[in-house]
Amino acid sequence: MAEAIITPHVEEPKKKAPAQGDETSLITGSEAIAVACQLADVDVITAYPIRPYDTVMQYVAKLVANGEMDCEYIVAEGEHSQFEIVKHASACGARVFTGSSGVGWMYAMECLTVTPSLRIPMIAMVGNRALDDPKIPSRAKVDAFLPRYDRKDLLLHPDNPITVAPQANEDWLMEIRRGTAAAMERSAGVIREAYADFERIFGRKYGNPFFEEYMTDDADVVLVGMGTLSNPVRVAIRQMREEGKKVGFVRLRWFRPFPAEELAKSLGRFKAVGVIDRDFSLGSPYHSGVVATEVRTALYQSENRPQVVGFICGLGGREVTLPDVRKMSEIVSQAASGKPQPATQWIGLRE
Amino acid sequence: MATTDRELAELTHHKAPHKLDLFKGVKKLPLEEYFTSGHRTCQGCESALVMKLMVKAAGPRTIVLGSTGCMYVANTTYYSTSWVVPWMHTQLGSSGAAALGAAAALKALMRKGKFKDEPINVIAFCGDGGGADMGISGISATLTHPDYNCLILMYDNESYANTDIQLSGSTPYGAHTTFSPPGKTKRIMHHRWKKNFAAMMAAGHPTCKYVATVCMSYPVHAMNAVRKGLSIGGPTFIHSLDPCPKGWDYDPMLSHELGELAVLTGTWPLYEVENGVVKLIGKTRDIADGRVKRLPVRDYLLKQGRFAHFTDDDIDYFQSKVDEMWNKWVVPGVIPFQKHLDEDRPPA
Amino acid sequence: MGRLYAVEIVYRGIFQKNLAKNISRAIVLAAHKEGKPGISFGRYGDSPERNGIPAKAFAIVATDEQTLEEGMAKYEPTQVDVSICVDDTLFKGVESWAWYGLQPINKLVKPGGTLIVTSLEEPAALAEMAHRKEAPYQLAVIKAQPSFSGLWVYKDDHTDVRILGAIARVCPELFSLASVQEVIRKDTKDELKATSALRSFERVTTYEVQPTQGNPEEPYKFEMPKWHEMRDGIAIPSIAPGHKMKDPITGTEGGFQPARNPTFKKYATRTMRPVVDFDKCIKCTLCWLACPDSCFDVTPENLYDANLEACCGCGVCEAVCPEPNCVTMVNETHFSDNSSQWQAYRKDAEGYKANLASLIATRPERSHGFRFRGQYEEQVPAIIQAAEAEQQKQTQA
Ligand SMILES: Cc1ncc(C[n+]2csc(CCOP(=O)(O)OP(=O)(O)O)c2C)c(N)n1
Ligand code: SF4
Ligand code: SF4
Ligand code: SF4
Ligand SMILES: [Mg+2]
Repeated sequence: MAEAIITPHVEEPKKKAPAQGDETSLITGSEAIAVACQLADVDVITAYPIRPYDTVMQYVAKLVANGEMDCEYIVAEGEHSQFEIVKHASACGARVFTGSSGVGWMYAMECLTVTPSLRIPMIAMVGNRALDDPKIPSRAKVDAFLPRYDRKDLLLHPDNPITVAPQANEDWLMEIRRGTAAAMERSAGVIREAYADFERIFGRKYGNPFFEEYMTDDADVVLVGMGTLSNPVRVAIRQMREEGKKVGFVRLRWFRPFPAEELAKSLGRFKAVGVIDRDFSLGSPYHSGVVATEVRTALYQSENRPQVVGFICGLGGREVTLPDVRKMSEIVSQAASGKPQPATQWIGLRE
Repeated sequence: MATTDRELAELTHHKAPHKLDLFKGVKKLPLEEYFTSGHRTCQGCESALVMKLMVKAAGPRTIVLGSTGCMYVANTTYYSTSWVVPWMHTQLGSSGAAALGAAAALKALMRKGKFKDEPINVIAFCGDGGGADMGISGISATLTHPDYNCLILMYDNESYANTDIQLSGSTPYGAHTTFSPPGKTKRIMHHRWKKNFAAMMAAGHPTCKYVATVCMSYPVHAMNAVRKGLSIGGPTFIHSLDPCPKGWDYDPMLSHELGELAVLTGTWPLYEVENGVVKLIGKTRDIADGRVKRLPVRDYLLKQGRFAHFTDDDIDYFQSKVDEMWNKWVVPGVIPFQKHLDEDRPPA
Repeated sequence: MGRLYAVEIVYRGIFQKNLAKNISRAIVLAAHKEGKPGISFGRYGDSPERNGIPAKAFAIVATDEQTLEEGMAKYEPTQVDVSICVDDTLFKGVESWAWYGLQPINKLVKPGGTLIVTSLEEPAALAEMAHRKEAPYQLAVIKAQPSFSGLWVYKDDHTDVRILGAIARVCPELFSLASVQEVIRKDTKDELKATSALRSFERVTTYEVQPTQGNPEEPYKFEMPKWHEMRDGIAIPSIAPGHKMKDPITGTEGGFQPARNPTFKKYATRTMRPVVDFDKCIKCTLCWLACPDSCFDVTPENLYDANLEACCGCGVCEAVCPEPNCVTMVNETHFSDNSSQWQAYRKDAEGYKANLASLIATRPERSHGFRFRGQYEEQVPAIIQAAEAEQQKQTQA
């Protein structure tokens, strides 16, 4: 439906601070996220306490209090409201940020189920632990990278009278889902583009946007994981390499869209694969974590199907230790040498 | 040193609300409709009338957010709408959050120069289930944010109507609903007294400058309440009582009359709390001042099938509870505090 | 494979929900008495029902379980042996939700099948009200006022059992009178109701409707868009702002006509329409203000014209109008158009007034349910008596 939309935007937003060079500083991951919000000129942020994500919001609060960040910073009365507030703010044209951890996400779950189909780009972080030394890019570079948030004909505004999210019954739901699915199908391309832009503007290269491989070139077996695992795993792998064990690591960066074909192709090269889940899905196939199930599914279509062993570890933020990683890699090597292994094993459990 | 209101406003970048003059009688109302025909509501649905008059009062520069319920499912079945002004759905318990989100976005975007700076009304509505039951925490939170201009309107049809009439915290004592059917051994399944929601919102949120009860049988007052709520500044709350022909079980042509009876029997007092000052309105004030005699609740109850199982004792009990509102409450019809306690004896 | 019987009941949402449920339930129980398994169910898309909005319930019966299972593989049958319409105004068409369009009342009736209706109208007149159908079908009229009540208090005026008796007559293979009477006795313990079923069985007459009869108009319908034609983000354009009205005689512009939802018109919900005596109108605005469906177009001279494409016939405008006999609800049955009353009045005020008087005299208002406790108890004996008398007249004729 082609229609002329009058957007209520005023000309161009005033360009903020002049271009500065990037600066390196020692800050926590949480603080880095707060700074990212500042650089991205986020308009509406909602907070609610739950560990460990709330440290991000503590930093945001400081930035706001010190006048370093111009946004509506709203302390909600619960996660459900946190997520609904930013959903509606985004519909009205604001760039938004929120987040939570653990049960907070569960409390917000209803809002999460309805937001994607509305095509609302809500950035919501899942808090875990991390310490890093990020390089903070200049505002000018961020402005160049991030297009202005413009919902076009989806903007909820008197100049663009639309009805958003009417109740969809069985006559329509499949078509709506199909539309959202098409957007998800397109997203892989958009992600690649964004990584390329990122590299061009910030000069930082991440390689394959969907997963990162570490010491896999000559590996016999690999561990696969997501998120905050990479630190202990890399260290353990370096140690094992010194001992002559050919172990590698594949770190997934995107869970959705899941890079099934590409990942299957890569994992098909190895004799066995160990998937480390810092989560657990009750009653799932082989009583696994969610990543293991996805990896098995991805591999099913592939010609080379290495053994997949699932590991459950580091639940509740428990440390994944170097010995844990070594143990997992040992189990995967056993599988590679033809010794059958249980499909799922718990590591770092008092037993 | 104490912070003045003005300093606080500056601190929070408070935006001046929309200035909306009050309507002086039915002949002065705008002809335009911003909620139009073709919604799938029941014949004689007063809640639909709330929608119509609410946006007629607010005018075209308005964003409406609506939580799940009849006014979502019936009015906006996908790919169809009856709204002329922009409208968006919000989850069942989220009218408070929706109002806050939209108001915050407009405020930030206008302050930062990303949007043209102009008055745009934000109204979020909810039903009694989505509001007084599930949404109370969100509404309450929003009413404590003095720096966002928005109105939350709760349309109260006294049940979870859309799911086929289940009792809510706003269902009157004894009413027949699918969760409270009069049975062989239990005639009265619903023993709870209706939440006194508007007064609760007023009493509990000292920074909220405007709370009103309305009923569409008194449309000019209702529309002016919407205008006051949108122009006084900060978050405001309106509670509307809506006769519901389906759930209350009556001939739809009686919708208007039942609204009047709710007020004239004193069951539904009309009042507003503006900047902390309580004012009874219209017929309710006449009743309080003794100019109009309260009608017996019987006249109201027996016109509705949901009370058809009431015995005389039930009606008397209902009457006694309404009498109590008028004779014993410190602020009659509004605040349910009493000077001394009497025994509450519902009929067996 | 055995034989499958499908029965649909087309009814007014909520007003006749309990009635429809009683009928569909009894059909299945009666057939079961004769060893035929069956199932009754309401149509999913109608839920939640709204007062007056057309809804459907079904009873599917088969000679054996396997045939039943095959019949149940569909949500809604494409053809029915018997269609039951418990309110004659539904003969003008059924619009149940947005994008549904207006569907002919006889749409599902299979060639040679029977459409049973409760009505005080003559069969020939009813046949003309319904849309034209290619194959002939039977019309069976149960002479009675359509029965309306609400969600909680049921008006037990024997409409349900009369319909059941008629089914036994027009489709004896489905169940016999004896079986259905047995079900009625067991369910209601009311011999009078079993007798009402018998009377209806004895006296119901059928009328064959030919393909030449009926409303030739093509009812409006919609083509639903494909997924990639739909706007992204579950968003749809709002309704346009309205515009001024134009006087058909003078061309003067003024007043206001709102734009309206094109995909749900709602007039199929109406059983009565408001007719307005514009000369009596004091322009108080109350009808316009109180109409929950935003139906009133405001004319250039500030008269209020109920837009009959949008009006669902709730009667609120009549109730609020302070002028006696200014707005009157009249029976919708015979009207075949939704044209503007004000335009007709402007073009020929005298003719309009004469027509108005006759409408008011000949098409009395109908009752839409509960108005006070004790009302049904008061009304039911007279209703039953009147129906008896009507039926007797019918058999004698
Ligand atoms: C979280 C959640 N729980 C339950 C429902 C089911 N539900 C849909 S509409 C509705 C009724 C809401 O009642 P109310 O807010 O009073 O509005 P009404 O239907 O009476 O207009 C319910 C319970 C839902 N949509 N979401
Ligand atoms: S159930 Fe009540 S509130 Fe819902 S559409 Fe019907 S009359 Fe309106
Ligand atoms: S009967 Fe009157 S009030 Fe009801 S929908 Fe029609 S015009 Fe509106
Ligand atoms: S309510 Fe009656 S008198 Fe008043 S404007 Fe309507 S038709 Fe005229
Ligand atoms: Mg409700």
